[in-house]
Amino acid sequence: LYMVAACSAIPITDLLDRASQRSDQLHSLSTTLTQDLDSHLPLTVRLTLPRPSVCHTASLQTPNDKEQALQVPESDLLSLARSLLQAWEDPLVFLSTSANFLPHPAQNAISNKIQELRDHSKSLGDGLNILSGKMGPGARTISMLPYTGGNDVGQDTISQLINLNFLLSCFRRDSHKIDSFLKILRCRATGLPQMC
Amino acid sequence: LLLPLVTAHAGGQPNSPPGKPVLTSCRSPEKETFTCWWKPGSDGGLSTKHSLFYRKESSDAVHECPDYRTAGENSCFFNKNNTAIWVNYNITVVATNSLGSAYSDPVEVDVVYIVQPNPPENVTVSVMEDKGWPFLRVSWEPPRKADTRSGWITLVYELRVKLKEEDDWETHLAGQQKMFNILSLPSGGEYQVEVRCRPDHGFWSEWSSTSKANVPHHFRRDNSTWIL
Repeated sequence: LYMVAACSAIPITDLLDRASQRSDQLHSLSTTLTQDLDSHLPLTVRLTLPRPSVCHTASLQTPNDKEQALQVPESDLLSLARSLLQAWEDPLVFLSTSANFLPHPAQNAISNKIQELRDHSKSLGDGLNILSGKMGPGARTISMLPYTGGNDVGQDTISQLINLNFLLSCFRRDSHKIDSFLKILRCRATGLPQMC
Repeated sequence: LLLPLVTAHAGGQPNSPPGKPVLTSCRSPEKETFTCWWKPGSDGGLSTKHSLFYRKESSDAVHECPDYRTAGENSCFFNKNNTAIWVNYNITVVATNSLGSAYSDPVEVDVVYIVQPNPPENVTVSVMEDKGWPFLRVSWEPPRKADTRSGWITLVYELRVKLKEEDDWETHLAGQQKMFNILSLPSGGEYQVEVRCRPDHGFWSEWSSTSKANVPHHFRRDNSTWIL
């Protein structure tokens, strides 16, 4: 309770600044993870990877260029970021359990990074919850995007690598969206475009 | 009957289908438009035409390059209307002459990952003074095309400085600031300064053109105790 009270005293610009720093790290981390996994995939397999258009979050309508993004109201931008983040809660648990048994030379490093991804997502989620309380009712709406991929990562090494790689490529795109939405919000909140 | 033999001999080599073109790079300066460039293979001694085709993820429709002119030879420019982000573009170049066609290896890009801004602009260097000691104040503006003011692109800057006659640059990371003071100037002389920028999750720009400033000769602060 003390934490919540303390947070409510922090100006919204500071909260957004911290949130976008965290989302920036989250995305960078997902990039290095994808590279770690990719480097171990044979090229022939890499070309057969499913595309992010079939990710479990792909049904969420998000802007796909600057003009559209800048027209979205602030509370909706936050709602999009929160919906995406929430949609990864379960799959991230699944990712981290699967990574424990991954037949990969860098298994340990990959496991640690996925754990870091979960910690970052958790703290970003907490931050966005606080922000949503300050940004009007629209920001509190969350679109449910259930993960239906199941908990079977596959039997053989190649299908395990393909599944993890696919999930991570989805997370990478979504974390980039989250980061972009928060950075637009951060600039709007300061009201000082020359500072951005 | 002898004629075909003669032409083949005169060209040095017989004509052939085109060589395989190579897609060399795709870049977006501001996350709103992008350009892809290719290197043609051999033309097989015949007039050869290159075309670029692309297909967007989640669609089967194949489109041809919308604009071969704007970005110069061997390039395709995608304007704002043809550029979407968070979508993979699958791109291939085809070379065709009268004897056949050759396809490049396909390249898959999402525009958010190929952002390389233009260099910072209006880089100015002024010589300032603090308690009798000169220092350089460097300031600049973001590249005009990059919309930093809406938060669409976030840039960090790096600058490098050296005395005209030196070979090695000294670099400083300036973060998101658009101003930087260089306080430790080892001696007087002509200083050269360049600035570059990098977007979040993208590539460094080229260095800006060199800006110069003449610093009057002065004694180094840490030497002054020796002189005393």
